[in-house]
Amino acid sequence: MKLKKYVASVGTIAVSMALSANVAFAACASDGLPASMEGPGGYPERALTMIVPYGPAGGSGQVAQAMAQAVSDLTGVSINRDHKPGGSGTVGMTAFMATPADGYTVLEHIDDASSAHALDSSRPNPAEDLIPLVISQITFSQVYIRTEEDRFTDWASFVDWVNAQGGKATIANVSKEGSMERITMKFITDATGMEIQQISFDKGAPRYGALAGGQVDALFEQPGDVRKFLDAGTFKPILTILKEAPEAFADVPSLTEAGLGFDPLYRFRGFYVHKDAPADRVEWLKWAFQKAYCEESYQKYNESKFMTLIESFRDTEGSRELINNTVAQYRDVYKAMGLEVK
Amino acid sequence: METFNNFLGGTVALFSDPFGILIFFGGVIGGMLFGAIPGVSMLTLAAILLPFTAHLSPEHGIMLFSVIYCTGVYGGAITAILFNIPGAPENAPTAFDGYAMTKNGQAGKAVGAAVMCSALGGTVSAVIMMIATAPIANWAISAFGPPEIFALVFFGLAVASSVGAKTFWKGWLSILAGLLIAIVGLDPVGGIERWDFNMPYLLAGIHFIPTILGFFAVTEIFVQAEKKARGAYQAPKLSVDFPSLAELIAHKVAVIRSIVIGFFCGILPGIGATLAAFMGYNEAVRWSKDRSEFGKGKLEGVISSETANNAATGAAMIPLLALGLPGGALTAMMVGVFQMHDMEPGPLVFINSADLVWVVFAAMFFANLSILFVGYLETKTIINLLRIPFQFLAPMILCLATVGAYAVRGLTIDVIVMFVAGAIGFFLRRSGYSVAGIVLGLILGRIGEQTFAQAMQMLHFEWSGFIGRPIALGLIIAGFLTLGGSIYGAFFKKS
Repeated sequence: MKLKKYVASVGTIAVSMALSANVAFAACASDGLPASMEGPGGYPERALTMIVPYGPAGGSGQVAQAMAQAVSDLTGVSINRDHKPGGSGTVGMTAFMATPADGYTVLEHIDDASSAHALDSSRPNPAEDLIPLVISQITFSQVYIRTEEDRFTDWASFVDWVNAQGGKATIANVSKEGSMERITMKFITDATGMEIQQISFDKGAPRYGALAGGQVDALFEQPGDVRKFLDAGTFKPILTILKEAPEAFADVPSLTEAGLGFDPLYRFRGFYVHKDAPADRVEWLKWAFQKAYCEESYQKYNESKFMTLIESFRDTEGSRELINNTVAQYRDVYKAMGLEVK
Repeated sequence: METFNNFLGGTVALFSDPFGILIFFGGVIGGMLFGAIPGVSMLTLAAILLPFTAHLSPEHGIMLFSVIYCTGVYGGAITAILFNIPGAPENAPTAFDGYAMTKNGQAGKAVGAAVMCSALGGTVSAVIMMIATAPIANWAISAFGPPEIFALVFFGLAVASSVGAKTFWKGWLSILAGLLIAIVGLDPVGGIERWDFNMPYLLAGIHFIPTILGFFAVTEIFVQAEKKARGAYQAPKLSVDFPSLAELIAHKVAVIRSIVIGFFCGILPGIGATLAAFMGYNEAVRWSKDRSEFGKGKLEGVISSETANNAATGAAMIPLLALGLPGGALTAMMVGVFQMHDMEPGPLVFINSADLVWVVFAAMFFANLSILFVGYLETKTIINLLRIPFQFLAPMILCLATVGAYAVRGLTIDVIVMFVAGAIGFFLRRSGYSVAGIVLGLILGRIGEQTFAQAMQMLHFEWSGFIGRPIALGLIIAGFLTLGGSIYGAFFKKS
């Protein structure tokens, strides 16, 4: 009953994402933008500041560095990264909202900002309270097991094995209340009838170590974050949480192939500026960040993180659409789960 | 033999390349300098250098970071000993006895011990790293899951109750206060907001670095300022005497114990040098015949802490290189350096980039050895900072500490926390409570709460699950025995 409610409540995000799993991106998304653009009235006269609500070594820190480098290479303007980790991105967002709306401060943030707003509308809505410059990474999740695992070898045998354990099976995850991971796992367990204990690790290394060391039976993660384990043959994916499997994971069952009827949630990372920043400066920033997406260094980075398997680029309007759909989707799911939506 | 040949190959590759030598010594000196400045730690230097490593070869980039790691962990000991300002959290236990030695006119001896023991701990750790990286890494992640790490933390807290407090009860109250502070912010498992008083910045929790700076540096300034105002201030006596070889040999058991502890903590992903230093110090206290001497300037305190934190450096490279699992923030940045060169640390590194691995191993070995020589020179010079009159030195220290507290996360609240901790520390010191206990409770509380919640999830919320995990069970029993012994001592020994 609840599953039906979730499925019915899930928005049109999959359609709006226009996923194209098998497309080779020969032409880059923002190639159509002009090669250069004059800053309005001499702007920017000094270095920009990029507030990053997470530490420098994680996924957000890395994408912030790659984008800052690409924008600097393109425009010659330096970008100082100011990491303000804590509170699942709340601290960085609060600090950003307190900065002047002069176009000199940009924010990096992930889909957590959208889900936080969905749960509590007093939190800033990234689509309306901010101006998205670009969303430059969109990725999907997978379920992984150890390659040497012999208790189960694929999704079907994994589900059978978990069901036989009477709730004793475990999966490493970032299962904070209302997170993308927890909701997706809820979709999966409701659809399969599996009872599986989610073990919450907020940092990557202990999470991956837990699977590598056999402390847990499976891992929920995005492919770019565990690429080294995939390349080394330590982990293998057994389920791709997408309607249609991308070519790189053609042999891994997708949701459709596994008979799971829910629409997937995505992890996305993007860059924002204050909505009250001068319009001409915002236009220049949009050009710089969207054009930088196609810089060779940034594309190379995205490729190394499996961020080119599905279309990762959204311009301002595309970003708003993605964020609004995501907020609506989360809000409906939260209500269906009985969480207090403010 | 093959290991030795590989090491020789790495050494030749390192020292036959002039640019490599330049980077090596740049890393040695940079790590020491940034490690010595509170808050502005080796992590700051690493973050600054990270983008530039794209222009270096992979060997040079990884080697630079490994060298900074080795010498940065040592660098913070100098300010911990001379001014009671730990350059980094892993140097905090060094300050317990190191600064007391400075006040007793034994600054040279304390710094000398830190130099020699850091070099020794790091070098031994590097050698073990070279010999047995892959098997140790695999053993560590298989044998140590959240239940074992929680049990280790519990044991550590049980031991720590006797550090720095006048009575057993005051020791435990100090630790509980630290544990209480540790729960401010989002809970580490469910993300539930706690004790934030509707202040978004408190959601990030109370960071232990500003707290350490407050309890150690600011409190010390207040204490000395009060003495100055009362006319009771005495400048620390200057001495540049190194500890004798005989003194170090006399502490061989402490050194070996700290190497084992440091190495062991270092190989656990996400644990690292800070826990190593505290555990090393705590164990020294636990095994001591006269625990009351600790915190008053006992050489063994400095030796135990500094040996353990540097022993963690080589060990932390093991899960990084063998499995791609960084043990802490700096090793996580090293992953970034690898990735900038289209490489990923992990088992394939040994196959695809064996040359790089051995250059890094050789660099870490020699970086630890170089602590001995550069540290010796540094000691003979930097110790003269103690000649600066208090009225000039105190504002400088306060400025440094303020910058350090702010630099951690760029948050003003961290500066406020530092000064509040400084004021609280001022009164706590008079009342016999232990600021070390509070800091340890804060640091271990975070790890302990998280691993406890994970352990309970893994054990399906059944306490009996610990019985089926021998290492966890052993550590918990050891913790209870320690606790029981302390309670027995508190109740019956005096009477």
